[in-house]
Amino acid sequence: MNIEDFLKSEAPSWMKVKGTDGDIVISTRIRLARNLDGFRFPLSFSEKEAKEVDEAVTKAVLNISEKIFSHFTIKEMPALQRQVLVEKHLISPLLAKKENSSSVLISDDESISIMVNEEDHLRIQCLSPGMQLLETYNLAYKLDNELENHLPYAFNNTLGYLTSCPTNVGTGLRASVMMHLPALTMSKQIKVITQMLTRLGMVVRGIYGEGSENLGNFYQISNQVTLGKSEEEIIEDLQNAVVQIIRNERASRESLLNKAPLVLEDRFNRSLGTLKYAHIMTSEEAAACLSNVRLGVDLGIIKSIPLHVLNECMILIQPGFVQQYAGTTLHPNERDLFRAKMLREKLNSKTNKFNNKGEEKYDV
Amino acid sequence: MICEHCKQRHATVTVTQVVNGQKSERHYCEVCASQFHPFNLDFHKDEQVPIHQLVSNWFGLPIWKTGTQEKQTQNTQQVTTCPSCGFTFRKFLNEGKLGCPQCYETFSNQLPQVLAKIQSSTKHIGKVPGNTKQSNERIKKQIEIIREQLKVAIVEERFEDAARLRDEVKELERKLESGGVDQS
Repeated sequence: MNIEDFLKSEAPSWMKVKGTDGDIVISTRIRLARNLDGFRFPLSFSEKEAKEVDEAVTKAVLNISEKIFSHFTIKEMPALQRQVLVEKHLISPLLAKKENSSSVLISDDESISIMVNEEDHLRIQCLSPGMQLLETYNLAYKLDNELENHLPYAFNNTLGYLTSCPTNVGTGLRASVMMHLPALTMSKQIKVITQMLTRLGMVVRGIYGEGSENLGNFYQISNQVTLGKSEEEIIEDLQNAVVQIIRNERASRESLLNKAPLVLEDRFNRSLGTLKYAHIMTSEEAAACLSNVRLGVDLGIIKSIPLHVLNECMILIQPGFVQQYAGTTLHPNERDLFRAKMLREKLNSKTNKFNNKGEEKYDV
Repeated sequence: MICEHCKQRHATVTVTQVVNGQKSERHYCEVCASQFHPFNLDFHKDEQVPIHQLVSNWFGLPIWKTGTQEKQTQNTQQVTTCPSCGFTFRKFLNEGKLGCPQCYETFSNQLPQVLAKIQSSTKHIGKVPGNTKQSNERIKKQIEIIREQLKVAIVEERFEDAARLRDEVKELERKLESGGVDQS
């Protein structure tokens, strides 16, 4: 596929399916860090080594897999395209900055991306909708086994898979779950949960990258420890923690709904109104409103908006996508105008069918 | 402001002392200040930060116990350099990352201390590459594919190709057998 296919202003196809516990868990991500024996890590390797690694990995991936992959060299892509891929979580911000032989292999449904020459030679990443830790891990495991037959992985009997950063050595596995936790955030329980998880060797981050702690009440929960635990243990521990958090979030939502149904109903519909009719929209406001509407949909108060449209909007409000939508680079305040326009289109077009009555038309 | 002690250099350091509830301020230049208060780390800003401090900064860990600390200083005195990428342990501490797979071998004395702090143990118990059972499966599959090609080649009377394919099957079967011996 061409790069344009991966840059469309819509959610990736794997995301259109609602996964298990899809009301709270948006997606599951498994990442495996691998390196090739006989090559220095990207931090210190030569351009020649970079090229060789890129060629070897690309050849292996294109040969073995049942899925069809497309290969893109990072340095050949304009900055805006790179940013859109970052916002889709297909590449990392670190890879987007690389100017040597770094590349990414993306599967047609965008559920698998293999980054080449990021911090490690290979970063195998699998994405699934909803809560699917084991299933997603099995996908990554299979792919890893296939690649292993063609690539000489750097492996040490005591330390496992060798990685550039000692925080990844061992299994090289980072399992993450993206969660929407508005009720736990409102009731301030999220801080306690964060502390508890840290003690259990897990981390909580915002999903829009660093510094965006709880934008839109979205959190990414992942394992920290990679050495001394087997893959199965890591997955199981994370699974247990996430199940616990889901239970708490559900209980908090219920008690919120019991305490103040009218206030909530007002809040959700106000947010929906803002999203549908505002003409200036910062990403913070958009994220906050989308979170409210999402909770409204989950609680059955808002019925006119399907969940997958909200999932899509969540991705599209990011700066790279807004500029992609506008077709040009924009200043932050110009972005706010286009963001509002895009949200109006997305949310009003879906309700048109519902209302049967055409709402205001906007020139594109 | 001029230093109160030497009365020559520019005063850049303010020393605040509280004695019996009375607060007094003195202004010194860096040279005089370090003579009076050598214990204050702020006066040595440009000097090297102790290694254990660096590690704790990098990994957000509590400062190491004195025992390990002394050992650490000894280790860095005889600087080991990785033969493959030229990394020293100090460079690793500064970067937070290693230069190449060989580094794990080169710094095998120092690394476990770092790993013990950030990981749950220093021994890998997860997936191991090269599972013989799996590679056997793979070879069997390959043999099947080639046999299919062989049949087609014979039907189409491409006998040179057929001979080559037959040899390939033989080679793979030999591999499979030797793999079986290894397993038992």
